[in-house]
Amino acid sequence: MFLAWNEIKKNKLRFILITGVLMLVSYLVFFLSGLASGLENLNREAVDKWEATAIVVTEESDKSMPQSSMTLDALDDIEAKDKAVIGQLNAIATNGGKKANVAIFGIHKDEFIMPKVSEGETFSADNDVIASDSLMEDGFEIGDKLELSSTDETLTIVGFTEDARFNAAPVLYGDFSTFQRVKFGEAAEANKDQMNGIVLRTDNLSDVTDNDALEVVEIEEFITSLPGYTEQSLTLSFMIYFLFIISSVIVAIFLYVLTVQKISMFGVMKAQGISNGYLSRSVVAQTFILAIIGVAVGFALALITGAFLPGAVPVSFDIATMIIYGAILIAVAIIGAVFSVWTIVKIDPLKAIGG
Amino acid sequence: MAVLELNQVTKSFGTGHKKVDALKETHFQAEKGELIAVIGPSGSGKSTFLTIAGGLQTPTDGEVIINNQNITKLSEQKRSKIRLQEIGFILQASNLVPFLTVRNQMKLLDQVKKNNMSKEELTQLYNGLGISDLLDKYPADLSGGERQRVAIAKALYSNPSILLADEPTASLDSDRAYEVMELLQRETKSKNTTTIVVTHDTRLISYCDKVYKMTDGDIKLEEN
Repeated sequence: MFLAWNEIKKNKLRFILITGVLMLVSYLVFFLSGLASGLENLNREAVDKWEATAIVVTEESDKSMPQSSMTLDALDDIEAKDKAVIGQLNAIATNGGKKANVAIFGIHKDEFIMPKVSEGETFSADNDVIASDSLMEDGFEIGDKLELSSTDETLTIVGFTEDARFNAAPVLYGDFSTFQRVKFGEAAEANKDQMNGIVLRTDNLSDVTDNDALEVVEIEEFITSLPGYTEQSLTLSFMIYFLFIISSVIVAIFLYVLTVQKISMFGVMKAQGISNGYLSRSVVAQTFILAIIGVAVGFALALITGAFLPGAVPVSFDIATMIIYGAILIAVAIIGAVFSVWTIVKIDPLKAIGG
Repeated sequence: MAVLELNQVTKSFGTGHKKVDALKETHFQAEKGELIAVIGPSGSGKSTFLTIAGGLQTPTDGEVIINNQNITKLSEQKRSKIRLQEIGFILQASNLVPFLTVRNQMKLLDQVKKNNMSKEELTQLYNGLGISDLLDKYPADLSGGERQRVAIAKALYSNPSILLADEPTASLDSDRAYEVMELLQRETKSKNTTTIVVTHDTRLISYCDKVYKMTDGDIKLEEN
């Protein structure tokens, strides 16, 4: 540490350059991880809000809720601690001025997937709905009458709830009967036991049902099966993984060049009997110091940038993930230093001193 | 008893008709308190002699004994330890670390060595070499002579039993060169160490107890 730190102090510029590169790479990693989790939230918020274990959909729907259709009788085949029925459809809603692509959830008020109202009140009359607060940011208000595509029914926003988007569409929560009217119109009465799925809380997933027409999908699996979800998060994850490799290579190259410049100095020190271990530890310690500073500054910059971005950019920072990524960055930087350690070990003190 | 002993040491490079004998069969002994000069033209094998004596390379044949320990067969790691504890090197190229102040050059040795010098001993060393005022300077800010004195201070740190100097006066003018030799002489006598100076500068031999002459890998004691 002594040697490492003194060298950094004496040669500030070159170490600021390395730290700067590390800082930029980590900034990008953190920012991408923020975008990744922002995009994920966009898709899954409403599902996470359930705090459920699993969802039951029909086997033929291939884990897609909109494609799943069953009757209320299915409830009798399900064994679970908590059960909640859900009907879902997508529509375009407009309050006369603004248009939004929304997901309508039909639920029973007394079941566990009923969201907490953050503003306004809960639905009580026919066609009342609670809306995702992202609609509030888009300019919708309590009391707005919403006209829907594909039906003559109009819905009324009576309240808002936080963090409620499903597959990127803000959710409107209404009573199950409201959903029926929107979906089936005149034929609502005839279809009043039609729904899309059953959301569950249970400790015993394997015993939920023995009905072969139904499929129990764990929540995480249900989320990754949402259209586009896996593709989006894989794309960003791959970028992040590549950045790990890139930062390792950059650090390796930088340190290697610095080490090569110092070969004769290391040779002299080795001639004097300073061990490979001491010199190698010094290089690793140096990398560690640079990586910590670079990652810390990148971390701060990412958070600051996030705070100033417009709401349309789906960025949300998950501190735990960022800390893990930061640790990985520091680790790969140190792996990059291994090259230089190897070079130091190979230096022949005799050649270095020109003997 | 000899501090440093070379028995039947040879060193050759290459094989067959390309074989070069850098060092022919050499017997050499150095006692405590001796200041020894090895002189000879460049290419005569002086440096080979010095690096073998200092454990920086192994001889082709024969054995090197430092303080009763045969170092010929030791691993590089163990020889490195012996260099650290027993031998002080003063090298032709400055052996200073460019990014450390004079004070920190010593601190570095302090970190890696055993039986370190006390503060008093260190102050004494600085005063003896006249570098007390240079402690916070970097090597780049020192003159050639100052650098050489700091290099000597490094070599003397924690009292090695053998001091090996490769052309310690090469980059110095005559006055500075004599100064450095006087200093080496004084240190050798006062600390009862063994100093071997390899040089082609015959002006320096008046400071030495023994002078060896090296020609084409052959080392011979000069009679005064």
